[in-house]
Amino acid sequence: MARRFNRRDFLAVTGLVSVGAMLAACQPKVVEKVVKETVVVEKEKVVEKEVKETVVVEKKVEVAKEVTKVVEKVVEKQVGIKNVPRERTLVYLFGGSGGTWSDAGNCNPYLATGFTHQVGLAAAIEGLQYYSAFADKQMPWTAESHSYNDALTELTVKIRKGVEWSDGVPFTAKDVEYTLNLCLKWAPQVRNSAYIKDHVKEVKALDDYTVKITFLDPCPRFYFETLTFKFDTGQYIIPEHIFKDVADPTTFQFWGPEKGWPVSTAPYRVSYFTNMQKFLDRRDDWWAAKIGFQKLPEVERFLVLPQVDDTKAAQLSIANEIDACLDLRPTIMKTILETNPAVISHTGKNKPYGYVDWWPNNIGFNDLEEPFKNPDLRWAVSYAIDRDQSIQVAYDGAGSKQPLFFPSYKSLKPFMDNIKDLLEKYPSNEYNPAKSEELMKKNGYAKDKEGFWVKDGKRIVMDMGGWQVWADIGPVVAEQLRKGGFEATYSQPSDWGDRVNLGKVNGFWYGHGGSVGPDPWLSMTIYHSKYVAVTGAPGWSGPWRWKNEEYTALVDQIGLLPMGDPKIMDLWHKAMEIWLRELPSVPMIEWYHRIPMNTTYWTGWPTAENPYLNGAPWHLTCPRILDNLKQVKK
Amino acid sequence: MRAAYLLKRFGLLLAVLWTAATLNFFLPRLTPRNPIRERIVQLATSGGYLEQGIEEMVKAYEAKFGLDQPLWKQYLRYLGDMVRLDLGYSLTAFPKTVMELIGEVVGWSIGIAAVTLLLSFLIGSVLGALIAWPKSPKFLQYLVAPLMTISSVPAYIFGLVLIYFLAFRAKIFPMMGGFTLGTVPDGSFAYYMDVLKHALLPALSVILVSLGGWALGMRGMMVTVEGEDYMILAEAKGLKSNRLFSRYAVRNALLPQITGLGLALGYLVTGQILVESLFGFPGIGSLLNRSVFVYDYNAILGVTFMIILSVGVMTLILDLIYPLLDPRIRTGEGK
Repeated sequence: MARRFNRRDFLAVTGLVSVGAMLAACQPKVVEKVVKETVVVEKEKVVEKEVKETVVVEKKVEVAKEVTKVVEKVVEKQVGIKNVPRERTLVYLFGGSGGTWSDAGNCNPYLATGFTHQVGLAAAIEGLQYYSAFADKQMPWTAESHSYNDALTELTVKIRKGVEWSDGVPFTAKDVEYTLNLCLKWAPQVRNSAYIKDHVKEVKALDDYTVKITFLDPCPRFYFETLTFKFDTGQYIIPEHIFKDVADPTTFQFWGPEKGWPVSTAPYRVSYFTNMQKFLDRRDDWWAAKIGFQKLPEVERFLVLPQVDDTKAAQLSIANEIDACLDLRPTIMKTILETNPAVISHTGKNKPYGYVDWWPNNIGFNDLEEPFKNPDLRWAVSYAIDRDQSIQVAYDGAGSKQPLFFPSYKSLKPFMDNIKDLLEKYPSNEYNPAKSEELMKKNGYAKDKEGFWVKDGKRIVMDMGGWQVWADIGPVVAEQLRKGGFEATYSQPSDWGDRVNLGKVNGFWYGHGGSVGPDPWLSMTIYHSKYVAVTGAPGWSGPWRWKNEEYTALVDQIGLLPMGDPKIMDLWHKAMEIWLRELPSVPMIEWYHRIPMNTTYWTGWPTAENPYLNGAPWHLTCPRILDNLKQVKK
Repeated sequence: MRAAYLLKRFGLLLAVLWTAATLNFFLPRLTPRNPIRERIVQLATSGGYLEQGIEEMVKAYEAKFGLDQPLWKQYLRYLGDMVRLDLGYSLTAFPKTVMELIGEVVGWSIGIAAVTLLLSFLIGSVLGALIAWPKSPKFLQYLVAPLMTISSVPAYIFGLVLIYFLAFRAKIFPMMGGFTLGTVPDGSFAYYMDVLKHALLPALSVILVSLGGWALGMRGMMVTVEGEDYMILAEAKGLKSNRLFSRYAVRNALLPQITGLGLALGYLVTGQILVESLFGFPGIGSLLNRSVFVYDYNAILGVTFMIILSVGVMTLILDLIYPLLDPRIRTGEGK
C-alpha cells in the first residue's frame, strides 16, 4: 500500500519548489543577445595557458596583469564588448525615471513615441551641418555646402566626399533624398514630417554628391532650420541601404549589434543598450578621421546612465562617479561646486552656474477669452511681478530676466538693439504696482476686502501651473501676484499639459523653443495666427492663443526673405511693436542649463571662457562636444 | 477538498480579475487626458520645440493603437488581449510591448522582494517569538519600543538615511543601480556578488522597516498561545522549555504569520516601488513609477493587471493549501 502524502511531505515539497522557483526567477535576463556567443571552454583553456607561461618566467606582478587582461578578454569575448577603463570613459546621467529607461534598443530616430536622441543617442547621429549659437558659427559637416536659387524655391546641397556609414557604405546624396522622401511618404507619423510636407515639393539626388530640394513656396531657412543640427532641432538622415528594405519605418527598432545596427556616420556606435545603461563606443574607422577632416575623439566610451533624481545626481557628481548630467537647480549646483573642486559649470564656480538656454520662459494666458483677452490686464499682471525679487528668492540670484521671448545670444543682439526704443516705451520687465493698479481701475476693477481685484463679482483667478522645472520660481511669482490683487495659485497637476493645450488656464508657465540665431524668425512664428486653436480644441503648437493678423503678415514677410536681408530689421521692429503693445504673454526669465561638468577625468568642456558650443550632452551637438574633450589621466 | 469549493475559488478569482481588468480599462478613460498626445508633446517639448502637425501625428498614432475605435470595441479587444496576457504596446517605448518591459525587470523585483520578505519574515518571527517567551533574556523586552518606532518609518525614508550614511559618506555600499554600471553582466560569480552588494542597501531599508511588523505580530500571537490549555498541560507534563517553545508555542503562533506571508508573496511582483526608484534599482516598481511619470497608459494598465493577477493567484493558492497547512480547517468536511 502506497504511503500517504501527508502534510509534512507537502510542506517539504512546497518549500523546495518555492526556493527553486525563486532562484530561477532571480536569474537576471540582462545579458541579451550578445551573450549567446559565450565560449566557456575556451575561457578556461586560455586562462590556464596564459597563467602558466607567465609563472615560468617568474614575473609575479606581470602574472596578475596578464590574468586581468585575459579575464577582460574573456569577458569581452563572452559579451562582445571590450572593457574600457574609467579614465577613458565619459559618464553621463540623463533621462528615465527611478534609475531605468524603457526604450532599450529603440535606435530608429523615426519612432515617433519611442525614440529620443537626448538620452545619449545624439552621439551616434550626425548632421549635414552644425550651428553653434555661442560661437555664432555654422559648421558644415557631412554636407560641404549648400545654395539656394534666386527665387529661394530650390536648395542644392553638396555632400562631402569620403563620408561613410559605420558599415562601410558611402554616405551619399541618395541618403538625403531617401530620408526626405520618407518624411513626405510617412507624414505626419514621423518627426517634423508635417512641416516638410507643407514645404517640400520634390527631392532628387542629381548625383552621389548633389541633392536638389524643390519647395512649394520660397523657403530660405529650410537648410538652417530643418537640416542643420543645433540644440534639439535638425532632421536625422538615415541610411537608405538599410531602410529601403523596411516595410514600416514607424515600427522598425533599428537595433542589432550583431548586424552593426544602428548604422551611423557618427564617431560612436551603440554597442550595448539595456534599460539601465547604454555604451556608445568610439569607432576608430570614423570617416572624418580617415579622410583627415577631424581627429578621433579621445573619449573611448560614452556611458549613459538613467537619472534617478537631482540629489542622487549631485552625490554622484561629488563622488566623481559621473562627468555630466541633466541640468540641476541652482542651490544643488552651488552645493556641488562648493563641495567638489573638480566640478565646474559653464560659468566656472560663479553664478548663474550655467548658460542661457534657447528656451526663454513667459507666463501665458488664454488670450482668446475674457478677462485676459484684454491687453491691459496682461500688462497689469506684468507690472505686478517683481522679477528681480523672484530670481533672488527662487534661484538665490543665479538667474536673469528677459524682456521678450528670445535668448540673449550673440547673433540676436543686433535685433535686440534695434528695439531699444520699444522696450523703453513698453517696459515689459518693469515692476510697477502703481501702474498695475491704474490699469485695473481703468478697466473697471476694484479690490475686495481681501485685496483681490473684482469686477461684476468675479475675481481674476489664475491657476498657474507648470512642470517640475518651475517648482522653485512658480510659487514665488504666484505670491507676488496675490499681493498685486490677482487670485493666483501655483500647482503642478498631472493634467497640466492638457489644461494648457485646451486653453483652460491662465497664468501658465511655458518656454519658447525657437530662434538661436542668426535671425529671430523662428521664435516669431510661435505667435503666428495659424497655430491658434479655439478654446477647447487642442492647441499645442500655439498655447498662447493670441491672434493678430498684422503681426502674422509681418512674420510671413520675414519668412520669405533670406537670413541677413536688410529688410528684415524694419519688419522685425514693426512686429515687435505690435507684440509689446499687446503683450500676449508676460516675459519672465531666461532659462539656464546648469550642468555640473567634472574635470577629474575630462577637460575641454564648453564654458563661458571657451564657448564653442552649449554644453548640453543631450542636444544634437553632443558629438561635437565629445570631439573637444581631453583625457586627463593618460 | 470538494470540487465545488475549488470551482467557487476559481470563479472568485475570475470575477476579481474581470472586475480589475474592467476598472483598469475604464478608470483612466474617465480623464480627458490623451496618452498619445501627451507622449508626443512631451517628446517635443523636452526638446523645447513644438513642431507642426502634432495633432495630425496624434490622430495617426491613435489609429495605430486602436484608440480611435468606439469604446465598446476597444473594451472587447482589451478583454481578449487580457485573456491572452497580451498587454499591448508600450506607448513610450513603442514598438516594444508591455510584456517585454515587464520581462526585463520582473526578475530583479522578485529577487529583491523575495529575499527581503523572507528575511524579514524569518528574523521578525523569531524575534517576536523570543520577545514573548518568558524565559528569553530580559534585554529582548526592550526591543519592542524600537521595533514599533522603526516599523512606522516608511522604507524610502529609511533608504534615504542609509544612502546618505552608508553609501555617500562611508562609501560602503554603492549609491544606485542593480550592479556596477559601466560593466556588462557576464553571469560570473563576481557579477552575482556585485548584484548582491547592490541589493544589500535597498534590502536593508525594507528589512529593517518590515521586521517590526512581523515581530510584533508574532509576539501578539505568542502571548495568546501561551495562555492556551495545551501549553499549561504540556508544561505540567514536564516537557523541556525548548520543546515547549518550538513545538507548542511557535508552531501554533506561526499560522497567522504564514497567512500573512502568503498574501505578502502575492505582492512580490509589485516590488518596492519607492525603494526601487530611490535606489535606481531596475525592478517593476521603477517601471511602474516611470510609466506613471511619462503617462505610459498601456504600461500602467499592464503592470497593475499583473499585480492584481499575482495577488489573486497567490490568494487562490493560499485558499487551496490552507486546509493542508492547518488540520483544523477542512472546508466542508466532517459536517
